Amino acid sequence: MNTMFAEQFNEPATNHSTAAPIEHRFNPYSDNGGTILAISGADYAVLAGDTRHISGYSINSRFQPRVHTLPGEKPLIVSANGFSADGETLVRRLAQRVEWYSYNHNKPLSAKSCARLIQTMLYGKRMFPYYVATILAGLDENGRGAVYSFDPVGSYEREQCRAGGAAASLIMPFLDNQVNLKNQVDPATGEPKIATDLSLEDTVKLVKDAFSSATERHIQVGDYLEIKIVTKDGVSVEYFPLKRD
Amino acid sequence: MSDPSSINGGSIVAMAGKDCVAIACDMRLGMQALTVSNDFPKIFQYNNSFIGLTGLGTDVTTLSEVFRYKVNMYNLREERDIEPETFANLVSTTLYEKRFGPYFVGPVVAGINSKSGKPYICGFDLIGCINFAKDFVVGGTSSHQLFGMCESLWEPDLEPEDLFETISQALMNAQDRDALSGWGGIVYVITKDKIVKRLLKTRQD
Repeated sequence: MNTMFAEQFNEPATNHSTAAPIEHRFNPYSDNGGTILAISGADYAVLAGDTRHISGYSINSRFQPRVHTLPGEKPLIVSANGFSADGETLVRRLAQRVEWYSYNHNKPLSAKSCARLIQTMLYGKRMFPYYVATILAGLDENGRGAVYSFDPVGSYEREQCRAGGAAASLIMPFLDNQVNLKNQVDPATGEPKIATDLSLEDTVKLVKDAFSSATERHIQVGDYLEIKIVTKDGVSVEYFPLKRD
Repeated sequence: MSDPSSINGGSIVAMAGKDCVAIACDMRLGMQALTVSNDFPKIFQYNNSFIGLTGLGTDVTTLSEVFRYKVNMYNLREERDIEPETFANLVSTTLYEKRFGPYFVGPVVAGINSKSGKPYICGFDLIGCINFAKDFVVGGTSSHQLFGMCESLWEPDLEPEDLFETISQALMNAQDRDALSGWGGIVYVITKDKIVKRLLKTRQD
């Protein structure tokens, strides 16, 4: 930079027009790493995320929880992973919309409606998107576990399980295999195995395994795992230490 | 995507077990999103050494022939088979010769040393830097997915049949999450006195 300025000053006035212009540009996005993962069961849903917050190769925080509980008696849990400033903003604005809904309509916002609300909020910024992978977890109208996943501009789907963020590509095939039993056959009949609901204990074990493996091979994942569990009794939290290197 | 290493697609994985090794690959050859062939194996055998070559299809074919030539010359000069460790170094030096105009490949070598009976697996970057691993090595367009699968499924001292199941599940579930890999698979399970080659029937999309 300094040499470029020096050359410009030393050049004769007539050559100024041929000097290369210096371009300045502000980048409104950055990547804060981290990974999230959600699995739904018969009467519960879990949403887990690691608590590491990074920029580049630096660790900004080893404990910056990214899984948020929305306000209400029958709470939903949500995480918007990617660019954390956008993620925090989306969740804060969503929490306010959910709170106002309960005051205006005198009933809690259902998981299905919350998912549609998130879509309109994300698509509302279609031309300057929130740079996040969003996952919503809770219970549906029938009390069954529900997981909704979103792309940055609001395209969404209800699923059995979904990983998002930095190590999503490492975890997702593992989930296909262990939750939806993809590529597995019954040894007796040779027929493909049919996926059934997992117990909460098995789900939590699977989540811990998935994050331990992702931590081993991905530098942006580690420190602590925060597992939030929604049941009819509300939200409970469990912490699990991950490797800190 | 004009990146030479992801134009044709393809994946490789190798794992070590108890007195055995396994190496597996997919069968796809594509031109970006278009699949051209579903019969393009990427594993080649030279004596008791196996190499999986992923990356630019033309370099995969060229290098497989270069290695056949070089191993044949080794056999004539030394009057003995090449060991996996020696073959890995031959791969390394061959790739480094093209340091400033490399072959766009991500090779993986697997085999069992005929003298010591020890399993040997390793991977390389495109200019021949050896990555020696005790557990597993991966390569190709679904390497991220393979790392996730292998890190969670692999365990020490697997017997040949269990190693086959582990490597097959790792490969199949990884390639199902990669648009550039899949369309079948081949698995070699290598023990000291037996080589078993199996074809995997996988989803065709």
